[in-house]
Amino acid sequence: MRTGAARGQEGHFHEAGFYSSDGEFRDLIVPFAEEGIAAGEPVIIGYDNRKNALVRSWLTDPSAVTFLADKSLYATPSRAIATYRRLLEFHAASGAGQIRITGELPHPGNGGSFEGWDRYEAAVNTVWDEFRVWGLCLYDTVTAPAAVLAVAARTHPSIVSPSGIHRANDRFQDAAVFEGLSFAPDPLEQTRPMIELVDRSAAEARQALAQIGRGRIADAILEDLAIGVTVTVSNALAHGRGPVTVRFWAAPDRIVITVHDQGRGPADPLAGLVPTPSGSAQPGLGLWLIHQLDIDVALKHADDGFTVRLRGGTTIG
Amino acid sequence: MIGPVESPRGFGLQDHLCWVHGDPWDYRPRLTEFFGEGLERGLQVAYLGAGDVEELREHLDRFVDVGPLLTREAVRIISFDEIYRAGEPVVPAEVMKKYAAATQEALADGYRGLRIGADVTDLVRAPEQQDAYARFEFLLERYSARHPLSALCEYRLELGDAVTQFACLHAAVPAGLTPFQVFACDDGAVGLLGEFDAAGQAAFKRALERIQPAPDDSSLIFDMSAVRFMDHRSLLALDSYAQECQVPVLVRSMPPIVRRVARVLGLEHLGGVRTGGT
Repeated sequence: MRTGAARGQEGHFHEAGFYSSDGEFRDLIVPFAEEGIAAGEPVIIGYDNRKNALVRSWLTDPSAVTFLADKSLYATPSRAIATYRRLLEFHAASGAGQIRITGELPHPGNGGSFEGWDRYEAAVNTVWDEFRVWGLCLYDTVTAPAAVLAVAARTHPSIVSPSGIHRANDRFQDAAVFEGLSFAPDPLEQTRPMIELVDRSAAEARQALAQIGRGRIADAILEDLAIGVTVTVSNALAHGRGPVTVRFWAAPDRIVITVHDQGRGPADPLAGLVPTPSGSAQPGLGLWLIHQLDIDVALKHADDGFTVRLRGGTTIG
Repeated sequence: MIGPVESPRGFGLQDHLCWVHGDPWDYRPRLTEFFGEGLERGLQVAYLGAGDVEELREHLDRFVDVGPLLTREAVRIISFDEIYRAGEPVVPAEVMKKYAAATQEALADGYRGLRIGADVTDLVRAPEQQDAYARFEFLLERYSARHPLSALCEYRLELGDAVTQFACLHAAVPAGLTPFQVFACDDGAVGLLGEFDAAGQAAFKRALERIQPAPDDSSLIFDMSAVRFMDHRSLLALDSYAQECQVPVLVRSMPPIVRRVARVLGLEHLGGVRTGGT
């Protein structure tokens, strides 16, 4: 039995709210949490320390909700999806009638990067559909860049205002038609690559990586990049349209690799964000795997083909 | 000797070497070296091939230069007919028994062991022969890791891609022939060596199908200390093998880069045992 605005909804009820002051933030989050507590539903709240403290002070019984303060939760979109899935599985198994989750994604306004989170906001409309979950994403209109707010406005089927009115969002785009933000190229990509391989094997790509990477970045990151370049080159050779071009750049503390083919890339808008059925060796599994590593993975569909960019070491932008 | 090699020289009493050649002329100097060194080491050598023994002896005389040694008893000539059934898939365990018996005979006759050399192309030409023969190759690999039998298995290049499926089941192969190898460790474990990724995926899956635990083994251990890279597909293939194997499968010495993939895929159980406490 679901309560509140999500009553009668199936799966993930994904809602956005926009605030421009602590007062508006309170007006959005307090009813969401208090209604859940009253109904005996698990309530999970994940903001920065300052906002978590504010919410604690506002609630009549803060011990009834779970606060997530672990920044690693939002380390990468696919890891956040996987972490939340485990939480949802736990609460669903405990017999929760509905699970309420609210949090704030990283973006330049709160000291993070929004890269990849546009796809996350589109993906979560479907990836938790087997759970009765109400996800409330709150955006600070003062600090969040306009592009981030525009993504929020296209990825949430419902919007709640600080005055408490829930309305269907007529600007909502389904994941299948949603077009994400374009990635800013890494500054190194503007320079001449140190190594370029055309139609070569994954083994040769690993060899090239070892050649330029040793000593620049931690071994563990170099290994993650080796796993990443293996998956992307193998996928491009098996599923893409040649020629497959792999380029390597290296700065003193980081490595950038792009793997490009002339095909259209994976058709699934969720590619990489969710695992394929367990134990299967479908192409999507490798893409998901490399999204779980400590490297930055970006997918780019363009007129000239499909590119996967891998970055390891000191993060840029 | 284990891993890619540059020459057929320097092999010991317990070795299993694969080589490929285009025509018999390529084969000749290699067999000369392999047999010559075997005789120097006090081994009985056996030359095997199709046809009758006299023809084979003549062939050996003509093509392989082991000089006056040929007259000695130390050189045996064995027709394939004695070991294999012409045109039919081999029965791996039966064939292995024959080689084991021949090894014991050599020891009984005062040699330090047996060294065999053969071009086996004609035994694996038909697809239906290949699976059985590859299973036998693995038995031979296992036997030669623990008994004084050393073997040079020659395959002709005309077999095409099929060569790799046999090559990868030898402890020693010419460099560049296969990206990975499955070999027998002297303690009974199955060693994996080299790089396992999409390029060798089909061959690795086939190789796994040909590995059987020894009849008296209560578990099967894979040793990964010589693995340079293994991708998620190969790891999943290994996991499927483990699930279907009739005895528990354990993996030891999993390198960090493989452990990393295993952890993300939830396959830690594969590498979580007998790795020296890690």
